[in-house]
Amino acid sequence: METLNYACVITIENLVHFRRELLLSTMSNTRWEDARDQLRKIREEQIRDGLLVVQLWEDTLCDHIHKLGDEMWVVQEQVAIAALDCSRLDIADECREKLNANFPHSNRVKRLEGMVHEAAGEYEEALKLYSEILKDDPTYTLARKRQIAIYKGQNNIEKAIEMLNDYLKTFMTDFDAWMELCDLYLCKQEYSKACFCMEELIMSNPQNHLFHQKYAEIKYTQGGIENMESARAYFGQAAKLNPNSMRAHLGLLLSSIALSKKDPNNSKYAAWAAQQITDKYQTQETKEQIKETKVLESIQNMLAMLTSGN
Amino acid sequence: MAELLLDSDIRIWVFLPIVVITFLFGIIRHYVTILLSSEKKSELEQVKDSHALMRSRILRENGKYIPEKAFHVRKIFFNDEKKGYFKTEKRETIAKNPMTDPTMMTDMLKGNVVNVLPMIVIGGWINWAFSGFLTTKVPFPLTLRFKPMLQRGIELVSLDASWVSSASWYFLNVFGLRSMYTLILGADNAADQTKVMQDQMSGAGMMAPPDPSKAFKAEWEALEICQHDWALKGVEEDLTEKIIPPETIYLENKFT
Repeated sequence: METLNYACVITIENLVHFRRELLLSTMSNTRWEDARDQLRKIREEQIRDGLLVVQLWEDTLCDHIHKLGDEMWVVQEQVAIAALDCSRLDIADECREKLNANFPHSNRVKRLEGMVHEAAGEYEEALKLYSEILKDDPTYTLARKRQIAIYKGQNNIEKAIEMLNDYLKTFMTDFDAWMELCDLYLCKQEYSKACFCMEELIMSNPQNHLFHQKYAEIKYTQGGIENMESARAYFGQAAKLNPNSMRAHLGLLLSSIALSKKDPNNSKYAAWAAQQITDKYQTQETKEQIKETKVLESIQNMLAMLTSGN
Repeated sequence: MAELLLDSDIRIWVFLPIVVITFLFGIIRHYVTILLSSEKKSELEQVKDSHALMRSRILRENGKYIPEKAFHVRKIFFNDEKKGYFKTEKRETIAKNPMTDPTMMTDMLKGNVVNVLPMIVIGGWINWAFSGFLTTKVPFPLTLRFKPMLQRGIELVSLDASWVSSASWYFLNVFGLRSMYTLILGADNAADQTKVMQDQMSGAGMMAPPDPSKAFKAEWEALEICQHDWALKGVEEDLTEKIIPPETIYLENKFT
């Protein structure tokens, strides 16, 4: 789910893109067909790279826009949203006006207008626009998501949670929304509610090890024997689904150690997880690196404590 | 039998015009359909129902991956006798009567205007203007059974079956230009008439809207008999041993 406070542009992101900008400036005379194909690819794969899109637009495509035919409108929408990502409100407004002139009653353009308002920090106007859209078409999910994003942008997490719950009552299988709700609950440290959201996600795609891992992490954070046991199981499942996942193996190790008093089997799991982790370090790192790695040492200590404790 | 020789004017004034007319007509129909088509707005209630049904189906299929408690919480949410979602959400069966619903009326009218009416008009016109010509000959021999199909409008007993009359040529074009339209207008075009005809024949075109309360009842039953069997049981053993001790998989849950 796209949630953003457009008003602030993250500086780290700028740094990451700095290199690409350098790269692009050296080849600024790209042909417009190439630029179009690149934008098409970005659209299809839903890559979020505002700077690149704006760059392609400014350097090549904006002089050739009439050559695009019907694709021109999609491209302008894409560029407008990308421009908002980099807080280039001038470009966004220009594109939006063109779209508005061509599709005067479209909800999609209205939503774009709302997003421009959001980017300028005028949340009230944006909210008004979104509720107008929803009055016209109550099934327009994107407008509802924007509303929620506004509350999140204003750091009004309670309101955002409330709205999102309301949204999920109707659109129960929108799993991106469940993911967002899970993160919002985690912000508020409401772990059992976050767990509920993760359960939905696990059911949506039981092959995804990241869902299992995150669920296990939440359970681990909650603590208590029952939660710890299910954390161990889900870390185990994540490790089974992705044998390369360090995080899942470490989680399995920690949760097994935490449970070692209850059941002797747990030390077996802990030893197994420790073995896996050590193996990985030894195959991936050189000898000098291993000497500097403190993780292995601490794992050995943990295991030693475990065996002496029993 | 003596070889028949067609006047070359027939090629210019009958054979080609029929192809061009049918083709252009298909393209015009494509754009008129786009012009007249009204965006179908889905009702919030319908969306909600389909989402609920989908979620329940996912719960049945993948419920084994979540803890037993979580599974039962969800099952009760859907299936509880008093408060369950499938029990409380009552939907009136909206038997849509086309006579009373104005939007359906206009939709049907549009469909007729775009599809059926021009077909009759153009077909009639072609029959009237070009009837009685032999236009072409298929380059292989055919049996007598093909005569009514290929020689509509020409009742000559002694004529070889591989000759094609003008009216039949029109119909061959109507059905045969489909791939041309796909090539020019893209895959989802409205120019193709055969699809509409298939719809009308199979009755799929006027299928009744699905009844949510029936779907709810079916889903309620399916979920009611669905048992929770935790898929993650013994996953640690599975990982560490690579061999699952038989008592964990065979004896537990078997006769309890």
